[in-house]
Amino acid sequence: MTRRRLVGTLAFAAFTAVIVAAVALIPMQDYTMHILVQTATFSIAVFGLAVVLGLCGQINLAQAAFFGFGAYAVGLGTSTLHLNFWLALVIGMGFALAMGAVLGMTTLRLGGHYLAMVTISFQQIVTLIMVNWIALTHGPDGVSGIQRPALFQSAQAFLAVCVFAMALVGYMVWQLPTTRLGRAMRAVRDNELAAGVAGVNVYRVKVAAFALSAVLGGIGGGLFAGGFSYVSPDQFSFAESIVFITMTLLGGVSSPIGALIGTGLLIVLPESLRFLKSVPGLYLAIYGLAIILIIRYMPDGIWGFVQDRVRRLLPPPPFAGAPEELVLTQAGTASPGQEPPALEVQHLAKHFGGVKAVDDISFQVRRGSVHALIGPNGSGKTTTLNVLSGIYTATAGTVLLAGSDISAVPGHARTIAGLGRTFQNIRLFRSMSALENVVIGAEQGGHHAEVSHAALVERARAALAFVGLEGRAHERVTGFSYGHQRLIEIARALAGQPTLLLLDEPAAGLNSSEKLGLLELLRRIAAKGLTILIIDHDMTLVTQVAEHITVLNFGRCIADGVAAQVLRQPDVIAAYLGTEPDAPAFH
Amino acid sequence: MTLSRRRFSAAVSAAVALPGFISRANAQGSTIKIGMCAPITGPAAEQGRYAQTGARLALDAVNKAGGVLGKKVELIIEDDQTTNPGVVLAFSKLSSQPDMVAFIGSIRSTQVHAMAPDVLKVGKPVMIGGTDPALTHMGNQWLFRFRPNDSYSGSVIADYGVNTLGKKKWAIVHSTDAFGTAGGNALATALKKLPGATVALDQGYANQSQDFTPVVLAIKQSGADVLGSYFTFENDLGVFARQLRQLGVNIPWVGSPSVVNVSALKLAGPALYGTFGVADYAEDSSPASKAYGKLYRDATKIAPDNQSSWTYDAMTILCMAINKAGKTDPAAIRAAILAVKGYAGAEGEYNFDANGDGLHGYNIVRNEKGNIVFDKHVESRS
Amino acid sequence: MDLALQLFFTGLGIGAVYALVALGFVLIFRATNVVNFAQGEFSMVGAYLMVVFAVDLQWPYGWAFLAALAGMALLGVIFNLGVYYPLRHRTFLPVIIATIGASIFLANTVLALYGPAPQVLPGWFETPGVQIGPVYLDSQYLLIMAVTIVLVIFNFWFFEHTLLGKKLQATSQDKEMASLLGIPVATMIMLTFVYSALLGGIAGILVAPILFVSIQMGATIALKAFAATIIGGFGDVKGAIIGGLALGVIETFGAAYISVPYKDGFAFLVLVAFLIFRPQGIFGERVAEKA
Repeated sequence: MTRRRLVGTLAFAAFTAVIVAAVALIPMQDYTMHILVQTATFSIAVFGLAVVLGLCGQINLAQAAFFGFGAYAVGLGTSTLHLNFWLALVIGMGFALAMGAVLGMTTLRLGGHYLAMVTISFQQIVTLIMVNWIALTHGPDGVSGIQRPALFQSAQAFLAVCVFAMALVGYMVWQLPTTRLGRAMRAVRDNELAAGVAGVNVYRVKVAAFALSAVLGGIGGGLFAGGFSYVSPDQFSFAESIVFITMTLLGGVSSPIGALIGTGLLIVLPESLRFLKSVPGLYLAIYGLAIILIIRYMPDGIWGFVQDRVRRLLPPPPFAGAPEELVLTQAGTASPGQEPPALEVQHLAKHFGGVKAVDDISFQVRRGSVHALIGPNGSGKTTTLNVLSGIYTATAGTVLLAGSDISAVPGHARTIAGLGRTFQNIRLFRSMSALENVVIGAEQGGHHAEVSHAALVERARAALAFVGLEGRAHERVTGFSYGHQRLIEIARALAGQPTLLLLDEPAAGLNSSEKLGLLELLRRIAAKGLTILIIDHDMTLVTQVAEHITVLNFGRCIADGVAAQVLRQPDVIAAYLGTEPDAPAFH
Repeated sequence: MTLSRRRFSAAVSAAVALPGFISRANAQGSTIKIGMCAPITGPAAEQGRYAQTGARLALDAVNKAGGVLGKKVELIIEDDQTTNPGVVLAFSKLSSQPDMVAFIGSIRSTQVHAMAPDVLKVGKPVMIGGTDPALTHMGNQWLFRFRPNDSYSGSVIADYGVNTLGKKKWAIVHSTDAFGTAGGNALATALKKLPGATVALDQGYANQSQDFTPVVLAIKQSGADVLGSYFTFENDLGVFARQLRQLGVNIPWVGSPSVVNVSALKLAGPALYGTFGVADYAEDSSPASKAYGKLYRDATKIAPDNQSSWTYDAMTILCMAINKAGKTDPAAIRAAILAVKGYAGAEGEYNFDANGDGLHGYNIVRNEKGNIVFDKHVESRS
Repeated sequence: MDLALQLFFTGLGIGAVYALVALGFVLIFRATNVVNFAQGEFSMVGAYLMVVFAVDLQWPYGWAFLAALAGMALLGVIFNLGVYYPLRHRTFLPVIIATIGASIFLANTVLALYGPAPQVLPGWFETPGVQIGPVYLDSQYLLIMAVTIVLVIFNFWFFEHTLLGKKLQATSQDKEMASLLGIPVATMIMLTFVYSALLGGIAGILVAPILFVSIQMGATIALKAFAATIIGGFGDVKGAIIGGLALGVIETFGAAYISVPYKDGFAFLVLVAFLIFRPQGIFGERVAEKA
């Protein structure tokens, strides 16, 4: 752990100890205790939303249902089944975790609005069951006589437990963004496709986010039940889920401190703004208006706003020492000439319904070579690339990467197997710095768990230095020019130690001086022995860098061989320029 | 002028800080303070207004007659937001003021359940209107009920339908919330005790259903010759009543109090003509209820109903009890309330039993072409 | 059999209400890629406006209707300017939340202005319904079905056969391209919101005589209408209509033969089933993201 983090943790622990002691010992009125218990337990649930919504970008409109699972587990467990409080709480957490994972599994096919609808439906069904399955839940009567743990019977002692739990959970959520899982979640939030290509198992990350959010909801609910001694279904409805979301947004969607602020405000404000309550509906109307205004003007919430100001004042910690030299290829075990080609495509086909975007193409990319795949628009180049990187599944054919068959391997696993890729329209993680983007490429979603984090950061630095941007490593990627963003994307792919680098129209959108820079970079990459497969329109770039060219037209391979020869072939010229070449186009 | 982010954030900070600057008027010990948890916001806001009106009418009458223990009575109201945590917070805020003598609580049984543990801890009398029978049978000596509970409404509906209307084959329709479920159960239980009576259909529905065709058709199919109902919301009642008549069902109907509420009458119109309701408050049932009706109409220009009558009675009897006890000691007040026998209130004649239930019967009223006509009062035998 | 027929017609009736509201959803979604969680409140506001003009001010029904529509058009404009337009470049999530905030705001503003008691709105017809054989048809439901058919035909004609409709379609499919072709995108979006608000208001005014006018009337209908659009195929107009009708029938039969209290659950169960097994709905097309 870095020194800074250690100091922060110790400070946090000390602060927590003080607060918990204060809460346990200072005499306070019932009213204050009730408000604090509500704030603490709601905050834990809102921390859960900070994870799934703020960090991972997945919408969860069912947090009240998970809160309810925990509450009912503790409620029924202690009052009806006479279980120990902690046991009941753990059962509630387990159940919430399982349900959260199930909900997360629906993200396999769905995102966006569909996911929102699934979570709403889940919430509504849970509420209906809570109300109508009277034999299990006591129905609308609710569960009363809920017990607290034996050691913490008094209201104040229990409050101390709640505050402690809130601090503990808050700490974990605070540290999460800088862990591997947290970074993977942020990558998924910022750009799912790129995350997958950088080696993150997007589906698993989303399931984990949902499960984590659900467990936190369950913990909050269980503690809430102990605090108020009575629960009923109307407290765990869709309206409450909206309240949780609002609390998350108000304070700051991805930080626990923000979540705490938002929760506290939305519990305490109604109490102090009672003069607004004299007209029914006025308070809530202002509340609704506030949601709109917050989304519009303070999308990062109150704490996000504060954090932004603070971040500008605090510089990030300096690096220790100069970056290393980037290592790009692993030494081969077989002698040269007998190594399998870096990439071999055999009879690849991809059909979209009746459209044969790719129709039986085969080619090889020799190790250490620079190979270009060209063709007019609609020839199937990008489709081929997407099939190669696993975004599409091939209709037929095989893809062999360094001799092993990866045709059935999912996208993120291909990256781990050695396939690096960049996109035609740059896909960087916009909320992160250049270094963080490249680190994600190095981490490959946690595949290199055995390598220390420090080593991966060094590798990322090396990659950034290789493309010449190490000096600005901590800047947010949105502050770089388009050309430099392209370089960062390439660095990210390089950081993953690929066997083969796939570049999709790397020159797209670059001006002429940026293209020269790119060309020079590609030459340096090739000089290090890394195999490159490049798809581009820019014939100047292709002819200056490619040794071998494969030409596609209408999904078929019409030429394949050494660059100079291929470019002279009449059907290649015809495909690109039309039937009559009036001057030698390339030399 | 466009609203910049900075200005907005400043405004938010100000809004948050503002309440701190609002000073609270501090009452000195020269009044008797009664606290009241009422829904000022939330779905029951309208009913909350009526409840407050009833309490205040009683308050004014008491103060005009000399107050309590020689001092004026003061009512402090806190919003319970129609939620369970809300009522707990409201009650704890009120009870944190040490000079609170007693409280008026909620008409919603789940809210009373939610605040019950705190009531027990605080140990001062709380007047309630919730009708879940369990509330006065759970060992909490500080709850005093000012409406007849649902075991009575069930038995009165059953008694009237079977013995007065002579109908034995029942269809029971009830909402699936706490009120409806408890009421439906109470009715079914009461019918079991009456020889010859059967329950042909026991149908729950979820609140805010938009369509009751399946329910009406089920009633038709069951062959029932009388309908008993527990509806919570008037718009559900209105839709149901209309569809019932449209689909040709004209069996006698004896329903829970919402069936004769002002709102329900307005919405359902002719569909409710001829129905019977059990009403804890019926304006013509006694001289006291008539007097209350006149008092209410003079003050508000609208007809009174049970949302306000119970708080009126609660406040009146509470003040009477404090005066009789001669001090604000909770145990003494409790004893004085339980000693109330034969008191004619707006809701009926109060005879408190050891559990804290003041009323044990219901009025039967009839919807006579839009006018609510008092039929008779039935004291429950159970 | 009589039972089933009656259930079927009632199901179609309530389904037509869902279909009308769903139409409003789909139009906004196609134009802006945003789901408007305040669509139900549009219906509620329309109904209240009608109450104000026809009942409180006692205007003749026709004039009151036009005045209510004018009010809805204004609401559409304000909604667009206040909620959607400033957020149009953000991802869908802030917009969804903002529309949720708008729905809370609208519901409670009406509550603050009008009070919580439900209101009665008289229907178009004097006779409440007709009895055809064993089946009773509520005349207001018949009107709703008729209006839905008319609106669907109008929609089709407008979007496929008028220049304005085609411009709106173009804007919904590709805003950048449309603006490059000289189509005023901002105006198109404004028109879409106004049209959706009008549709929502009409749905509210039509259903109010049956369900009464209350603050919460929009909420459940909107949720189910949204489910209907997904079942029918998101972004597809006929899908919304058929999805709405199907949902009404499924719900009614489910309530009668399975369980009345769980009636609302059927809609969501069907929805979840579709989302898991056929997320593009009955008529929709899967849209893949360009890599």
